[in-house]
Amino acid sequence: MAKQDQSGGYILQFAPFQSFVDEGFWHRLSSLKLNKLGIDDSPIPVTGFYAPCSHSQVSNHFTLLSESLPSNESEQCSVPAIPRSNRNRCSVPGILYNTNTLEAYHALDKKSLLKEEAKKIWEDIHTGKAVEDSAVLSRFLLISFADLKKWSFQYWFAFPALVFDPPATVVGLKPASQWFTLEEADSVSAACNDWRNSNLTADIPFFLVCIASNSHATIRHLKDWETCQGYGQKVLFGFYDPCHFPNNPGWPLRNFLALICSRWNLKTVHFLCYRENRGFADLGLSLVGEAVITVPQGWRDLLRVPNAVGWELNKGRHISRVINLAKSMDPTMLAISAADLNLKLMRWRALPSLKLDKVSSTKCLLLGAGTLGCQVARMLMAWGVRKITLLDHGRVAMSNPVRQSLYTLDNCLNGGDFKAMAAVKSLKEIFPAMEAEGVVMAIPMPGHPVSSQEEESMLEDCRRLHELVDSHDAVFILTDTKESRWLPALLCANANKITITAALGFDSFLVMRHGPRPLNSTHDLKAEPENALSADMDSLAMADSGAERLGCYFCSDVVAPTDSTADRTLDQQCTVTRPGLAPIASSLAVELFVDILHHPNGIFADCEIADSSNSGSSEQPLGILPHQIRGSLHEFSQTTLVGHASNCTACCSTVVTEYRKRGKEFLLQAINHPSYLEDLTGLTEFIYNETDDNDDDDDFVKL
Amino acid sequence: MPHCTNLFFVLCCKVHSNHHEVHYYDFHIVYSASYRVPVLYFRGYDSDGLPLQLNEIEKDLPACSAKVLLESKWTFITQEEHPYFNRPWYKLHPCGTSEWMKLLFLDEAVLAESKVAIELHLVSWFSVVGQVIGLRVPIEMVNGRIN
Repeated sequence: MAKQDQSGGYILQFAPFQSFVDEGFWHRLSSLKLNKLGIDDSPIPVTGFYAPCSHSQVSNHFTLLSESLPSNESEQCSVPAIPRSNRNRCSVPGILYNTNTLEAYHALDKKSLLKEEAKKIWEDIHTGKAVEDSAVLSRFLLISFADLKKWSFQYWFAFPALVFDPPATVVGLKPASQWFTLEEADSVSAACNDWRNSNLTADIPFFLVCIASNSHATIRHLKDWETCQGYGQKVLFGFYDPCHFPNNPGWPLRNFLALICSRWNLKTVHFLCYRENRGFADLGLSLVGEAVITVPQGWRDLLRVPNAVGWELNKGRHISRVINLAKSMDPTMLAISAADLNLKLMRWRALPSLKLDKVSSTKCLLLGAGTLGCQVARMLMAWGVRKITLLDHGRVAMSNPVRQSLYTLDNCLNGGDFKAMAAVKSLKEIFPAMEAEGVVMAIPMPGHPVSSQEEESMLEDCRRLHELVDSHDAVFILTDTKESRWLPALLCANANKITITAALGFDSFLVMRHGPRPLNSTHDLKAEPENALSADMDSLAMADSGAERLGCYFCSDVVAPTDSTADRTLDQQCTVTRPGLAPIASSLAVELFVDILHHPNGIFADCEIADSSNSGSSEQPLGILPHQIRGSLHEFSQTTLVGHASNCTACCSTVVTEYRKRGKEFLLQAINHPSYLEDLTGLTEFIYNETDDNDDDDDFVKL
Repeated sequence: MPHCTNLFFVLCCKVHSNHHEVHYYDFHIVYSASYRVPVLYFRGYDSDGLPLQLNEIEKDLPACSAKVLLESKWTFITQEEHPYFNRPWYKLHPCGTSEWMKLLFLDEAVLAESKVAIELHLVSWFSVVGQVIGLRVPIEMVNGRIN
């Protein structure tokens, strides 16, 4: 690869700088662009850093960090404070042209930009500034386009190097340890280490190595050139070489030779490529060579700027580089990966059997977006659930934000936002990856009859609720009246969905999971063949567990749900509860839900009660799976209970079958005439029988 | 976020991964005032400066390190903002550190020479933590102290 010329020397071939941009630089550039610069695309002064090579197999990079750019707080962009350099990073001035569009980036006149920077170096050489502050010899240029929506950055470095024509040749390039005598080598190493260890000189990348006739070496500043002459001293021009190649010096030598040649008119130059290992001078890695220069015509003339090269190649090709940092800069993606990592930690550390994927993919329908709904939504989000639908027909009232954790005062203004929609918005603000939907709708309730004009829309609401239950995997019944829970309980039993009910008293609560669908309900006229099969499987599951079907919220009811809100005082109408109750109940509801997902029998799981024989011997890692949890703040107590299915008005096979058979007519009857449900399920008889014992009146008639 | 004060140590290294790709790693040891132990922060990136994801970093770990990471109950990786740079870095979570550090210093002879114990603290800490990331303490660091 090296070409030989007639004098026996090889054309001096330099290893280019390898640029490296820390992502902190792009972060700060984005911030600067967004907050300060706007569309201003004037050039920005930047600082680069490099250090001598410190490893025999890896070159050191020319690095840009976040400190390379002025911070947002600085007064003026045009005069930045030079960031502190140290022995590990010499600062080098540079300029950045960051365009506003991709087209403008590609349209930049790279040739003239390079020429302009080369001119600055040339002037620094001629005025002597390069002798005082030699880092300017490695002045650089960077062009970029920052796409701040996609977090992708196009960029291209240029390291201007003045071209010798004819090119310089090198004679005898070899490791420094072979060039120096043993004594000289020791002395040079010691002198270099001193230079590197002193705060005053550690970051000065160009220097003189003066070796006296007694082999004693000293390192001197470039400006001391005159005083190094004579006394039989050997003088080498040393520089920090970031490159590790054994046969090539690094890029900084190019402009160094240009300086030496034009300032001191030398035609042969001994140079030292200074490289290190583990913080100390490594003369085996460092190189010494002799360069032979033919001073080009016109180099005396300040005004005739020599040609320059230096655009960095991208994997050997003359094209721009691009980097996409969405994963580490896009706040949404950062939030998602942090939340995921947190959940995975639970799995690694405490519960390797956690089925996080199952939890996060379960679609949850929350009926009610009040105190319970808001808290349940937040807890589900904490468990990694992404798909939540909230249903509520109300608007956020002034009294809500303190207790309902998704709302703020803003939601109450101008009549109040719809709760379902405000809740969804709030969830997404907390965690952008939430796939939350709001449904503004009232749940039709038995005991709240509708006029004939309203029938159509009521049935439409029923149909809509039916679809919502069908399209989700789990339903949380979190409404504030008993009767509003009836239709959801029926629909969930019909569709065999995981159902969790939470209900609050003043200082007591109930959290329970509904049992699975009634077995006999599948034997009806409209049953699909698959239903029959699944019914068989259901029976098997039930038979296996040897258990009775667990009940729903209504299974222990003696009367059908009626209008509980009429003729009540204010404090009875709106559920006035101790504030701590809703969060407790909501948290238990979500934990119960996660338990069900982990139980091998899922919705068919039998109940497990907390007792001394059970504790510690539970097979499930998350613990027991109860049916009902009842708690009281009055005693700070909590118990688990079981209630098996009964002939209730919501989930028994009679009712479910009737719903499937007669659909709309059934619903109209149930909603407009609540005693219909009692009659249907035989509750009427039950009540009648119960009360008959004590009644002497034969004329007693019950509707 | 724990309030951190001192940046003890900075270490860089390079890994030849497959397909001639080179990965670079930065390791920082930072003192955590809230846990009162040193904490190892690290991040990896490729030659373009693109940060590596955790699964890519795990591929770079030597096999025995990956094993330690998986099996030991005292070491696990979380992602957190670097206390100085405010960029997301990975760190070895410090909550178990004081527990296993106590085990290392149970030797009464060591405790007697309390000065030595303090100097050895970081080296001892690193001898455990280093295993997780596949770095070893050079023997010279330990030998010099014991005498």
